[in-house]
Amino acid sequence: MKITVMQKMMYALLLLLTLGLSGCSMGETVQPWDKAILARPEMTFEGDPLDTKYVEHIYSSKEAASGGAGVGGGGCGCN
Amino acid sequence: MKSVPTKKTHVLGAALFAAALALPSYQTAFAEATPEHGNVAFKYLNYKDSQPGNDRIGVNAITGSLMMPFAGTWTVSSSYTYDSVSGASPTHHDVVSSASIKETRNAGDLSFTKYLPNGSWAFGLSYSKESDYVSNGYSVQRSLSTEDKNTTVTFGGSYTTDTVGHNNYATNPPVNVEVGKKEIISGLFGVTKILSKVDIIQLNIGFSKGDGYFTDPYKSYDIRPKQRNITTLMARWNHHFENTDGTSHLSYRYYTDSYEVAAHTLTAEYLHPLPNHLTIIPSLRFSSQSAAYFYHPYSAADYPPADAVSGTMPYSMDQRLSGFGALTLGMKAEKKLASSWTADLKLEYYKQLPGWCINGSGDSQLKEFNFTSIQLGVSHEL
Repeated sequence: MKITVMQKMMYALLLLLTLGLSGCSMGETVQPWDKAILARPEMTFEGDPLDTKYVEHIYSSKEAASGGAGVGGGGCGCN
Repeated sequence: MKSVPTKKTHVLGAALFAAALALPSYQTAFAEATPEHGNVAFKYLNYKDSQPGNDRIGVNAITGSLMMPFAGTWTVSSSYTYDSVSGASPTHHDVVSSASIKETRNAGDLSFTKYLPNGSWAFGLSYSKESDYVSNGYSVQRSLSTEDKNTTVTFGGSYTTDTVGHNNYATNPPVNVEVGKKEIISGLFGVTKILSKVDIIQLNIGFSKGDGYFTDPYKSYDIRPKQRNITTLMARWNHHFENTDGTSHLSYRYYTDSYEVAAHTLTAEYLHPLPNHLTIIPSLRFSSQSAAYFYHPYSAADYPPADAVSGTMPYSMDQRLSGFGALTLGMKAEKKLASSWTADLKLEYYKQLPGWCINGSGDSQLKEFNFTSIQLGVSHEL
């Protein structure tokens, strides 16, 4: 697979962001007793799973781009 | 001028809900603690797309799902979807007409998740079947959290194998002929980090390598490469507003593939609580994609297209591989009811126009494309 300049830039950005996210310098240290809000369903990235599945499949059938949020998922005839 | 029955499947139908719902093996990138309660949910979808002066595909889908914790640190999740597609597929070009179609699909999935003190393992299976398309998927995902649970690293992979057929709708019932297979191997790496007691962010990078039959058997002069490799980068940020008790969800995805399609997708929604356990969720999505290198606008001077007729070059006039921009407006309402039941209603309107492409040029010959969708769901905590 040929790697384009844009992809190289993206990998570099990813590396920087990953290092930043993994480091201690980003954000405050949140203690367990401060996570009441973070534990709410609306603060997770899962959302409404059935809603997400419907919407992602509509877009994957009407646009060329898809994916990005997770792995797996069945194939479909949308090409 | 050749007219080709575009049926549903490969146009939308299949796509739509098929696998979709079968996304059993679909694992979102982030694992938390073992859920204390199970959940059962049902959701109905009505989808209708159109182009100026023409109503096209209509889809009705119903999905049921069940998630149950067991053995202390495991959950099992499963869903089943049935959908029916009717109407005519979109006119991607004036030269490609549509045929009336009616198709049904059955899709199911099953996944198991094992929760550990520092993360989780998830294993998934998916299956989807319609008369001319069968898909099987398998996935595994591992999440690892730091001791303070403020950072989680996720990596996973999946394998999907699809069998593609072509229905001859000139016969009754249609005769299906297998035209090819394809295999897709995908991987994902993600980092989720708590930034503050009201902020959480996530960054995912995904790779996908596909080999096999990617051509749309229902389109005229459609010849696609036998490989399709995809890279995605997605960033998401959830923020809670303490003054309103509302929550915003922002995301950006960059997509690029070996077709030389590049796409930028921005999504924003805001969950605003109202009295009487009601929450309203307005949403906005904008996406712009560039055209595939083998997308060609229709040209009367080159029809049938010489490259496609010779079969030596990839060639497609599929609107979905052209450059365009698309905007979606949505509104959802969720209402908590008695006895741990929740009901929701969601409406969305989508418009796709060649002139809205911001990272390339659109095909000005293409008509705008619109869809509306309605979702109605209920869920119950067990």
